Amino acid sequence: MTPTTIETRPIRSGGLKLWLERYPFLPALIIVVALLALNGAFSPNSLSYRSLTGLLSTYMALIMLAIAQTYVVSAGDIDLSAGATLSLVNVAIVVLMEKWGGGGAAVIGAMLCGILLGLACGVINGIVVAALRLQAIVATFATSIFFTGVALYVMPVAGTPAPALFWRTYGGRLLGLPFVFYVLAALALLLFLFSRTRLVTQLLAVGDDQQAAYQTGLPVVLVRIKGYALCGLFSALAAFCLTGDTASGDPLVGGKMTLYSVAAVVLGGSALAGGWTTVVGSLLGALTIGLVNSLVFFMGTPSEWQNFVQGLAILLVLMAGVLAGRRVRA
Amino acid sequence: MPKLTLNGVSKAYGATLALRRGDLEIAAGEVHVLMGSNGSGKSTLCKIIAGSVRPDGGEILIDGRSVTISGPQSAREQGIGIFYQELSLAANRSVEENICLAMLPVKAAFFVDRPALKARAARYIELFAGVSGDGFAAETLVGNLRADQRQLVEIMKALASEAPILIFDEPTSALDRAQVDRFFDILRGLKRDGRGIIFISHRMDEITAIGDRVTIIRDGETIQTLNLSETDPAAVIRLMVGGAGDMPASQSSAPAVASFSAGAAMTVDRLSGAGFRNVSFEVAKGEILGLGGLHGQGQSAVLRAIFGAGSVTSGEIRIGSDRFDAKSPRDAIRHGCAYVSGDRGRDGVIAGRPIIENVTPIHYLRDRLMIARPSGLKAKAMPALEAMHTKFASLMHPINSLSGGNQQKVIIARWLIDRPDVLLLDDPTKGIDLSAKADLFALIRQLAADGLGILLYSSEDAELLGNANRILVFNGGSVTRELTGEDRTRYNLYQAAYEAA
Repeated sequence: MTPTTIETRPIRSGGLKLWLERYPFLPALIIVVALLALNGAFSPNSLSYRSLTGLLSTYMALIMLAIAQTYVVSAGDIDLSAGATLSLVNVAIVVLMEKWGGGGAAVIGAMLCGILLGLACGVINGIVVAALRLQAIVATFATSIFFTGVALYVMPVAGTPAPALFWRTYGGRLLGLPFVFYVLAALALLLFLFSRTRLVTQLLAVGDDQQAAYQTGLPVVLVRIKGYALCGLFSALAAFCLTGDTASGDPLVGGKMTLYSVAAVVLGGSALAGGWTTVVGSLLGALTIGLVNSLVFFMGTPSEWQNFVQGLAILLVLMAGVLAGRRVRA
Repeated sequence: MPKLTLNGVSKAYGATLALRRGDLEIAAGEVHVLMGSNGSGKSTLCKIIAGSVRPDGGEILIDGRSVTISGPQSAREQGIGIFYQELSLAANRSVEENICLAMLPVKAAFFVDRPALKARAARYIELFAGVSGDGFAAETLVGNLRADQRQLVEIMKALASEAPILIFDEPTSALDRAQVDRFFDILRGLKRDGRGIIFISHRMDEITAIGDRVTIIRDGETIQTLNLSETDPAAVIRLMVGGAGDMPASQSSAPAVASFSAGAAMTVDRLSGAGFRNVSFEVAKGEILGLGGLHGQGQSAVLRAIFGAGSVTSGEIRIGSDRFDAKSPRDAIRHGCAYVSGDRGRDGVIAGRPIIENVTPIHYLRDRLMIARPSGLKAKAMPALEAMHTKFASLMHPINSLSGGNQQKVIIARWLIDRPDVLLLDDPTKGIDLSAKADLFALIRQLAADGLGILLYSSEDAELLGNANRILVFNGGSVTRELTGEDRTRYNLYQAAYEAA
């Protein structure tokens, strides 16, 4: 790039721009608050402690999946197999827990296997996309079919129940607080730790400009594979939350969640092109989707119109958030 | 013993030889200047040393030991740091992160050691304290910086490698005087440390100010190494140009200046926009007007702006006597303006589609075609393709099956079905082989003879000298000199491009 053709962005001392640069999830946060208010207006009951806990435990899986997606999007990649990975881990741990007797040791053993399985799926994606240089969208779409195939082999029909110990813990309370709050706290800690890793900085640098990162001497292929591995890890965590919520195995459960996770990433304020992402935003983006769904329900939309309204609402939120962000950052 | 030695290093991209033979010796404690015209292979040479381009042949020795540089990472490990001309920065990362990106300080195996990172970056930011300009801070995102400030970050990043061999590929092109002075002070310090430094610049005064020796590259070959203290700028330019430098561009090749009494094809009056300012000129019907000068001095920006693909802030363009303000390329095409870019991948080729679809889009637009029969289109496409001697198996083959030169011929052919009034050529021969170039210029001259007004920007000076009736030399976004008639010599062109820079 030659200097005269570089368009220089004017440096604006505008506080709003600075705020957005430091906290890119702010628009998403405002939208979540607005949706909470709307929910409360239509049905005051929906803001009760009980319903909010329920909302959180239902959408925790999507939150995890959106975060998983965020790490690959950081590097400018995408993972269309995240949902299939979730399904595979879901059926695998349910089968393992059942086989091993459903006790405490079985649950922990199965979860460890689940994490390894998620990581393996991620590494496969990473190798296919980064090392073999296949198009991320198509390659991960293909692996998603493959992972679904394996999931169907592990559990051909949905419905095997998870052991009571597992879902009672997830849906229950610990020391007077709902267990899902502990999950959220653990997630927050995890995200904080990950945000300080060298890997995340490298992922973002790769997403910013892959050629520049390569010329800088970053191990671009390895970094991207690690990004996919991270995605696999969080997909496995998403599977745990989902299993806790549905209390059963379903080999096809995650398929439709994949694109929701991509939507949540964008709703949260990340750039799909990479280099500019926010995990907190993705968390809020997933909550936005959950709140839209519950709003549609509380508004008393007739069931045949629910998809219509849902789609429209997500579109509106997307426009509001993305346009506002673009105007300030441009 | 020299710090770095290159023996017969070469690199080809397909049919084009980017570097025919590179021989170079860098001593400890010297600033070694590389000089050569546009596209002579300087940047390729640098990238080979820095590992981002793999050489096809030759030998690289560091401290007398033969080494293999397998990539940028390996170059770094062997003690080579580089400033990339096109910069290697992450726009959404902060200044300090960019400076340390190659080797992020780590604690507990996984985590970025922020205090260490800040401290290390601060050392290099401190070097430019006072000249780095408003809004330059360690935490600022690089995307928010001005062009010169970004260039400073790339310099700091190269310095932070603390490598014994440092390469600076046009590090000063956007810097102001004070910044350049500070940078040269730093370079002098590095020289005293015994580092070996490769330095590329197009400003003669800078080269004499900082350089110890100069190696001249011409047409991908290192010609000669001289001590700068024992030579003068004119001699250096003469070497860059080669033996034939003083002769006017061969008269036989340049078309006669006779036939364009028919009036102006296009008039540009005090045009300003992003990357250029106050540009005025007139192209007569039948004239080929060359735009010359170093890379990126506003030539492409002007052409793209005329075509409606860039921004115009003030000024006026007329085609014939009608006011012409293209708001978009679509608009420009409708008004009889054609644009061929050297960047085929971005601006020309419809990748993966058949040749016939690549020849006809302009025809669709200009004739407002809705439904077309392939046979009818074929009758229109074939003469255009044949005029260019395009080699292809059938119209239905995908365009990607052709060589770069033939792809470019297809792109040009699309403008020939419905003749435009003005043809804008933006470095049209970039990366195509010699015979295709010859075909292309034969056609361009034919078009000029038919009465088109043609604007030609080329990064290869020989093409301008051989084909243009007049040459406007661009510098820093405006026209600094016009070369006509006997003045069109290689020497004058180089001098106008370099001297004023």
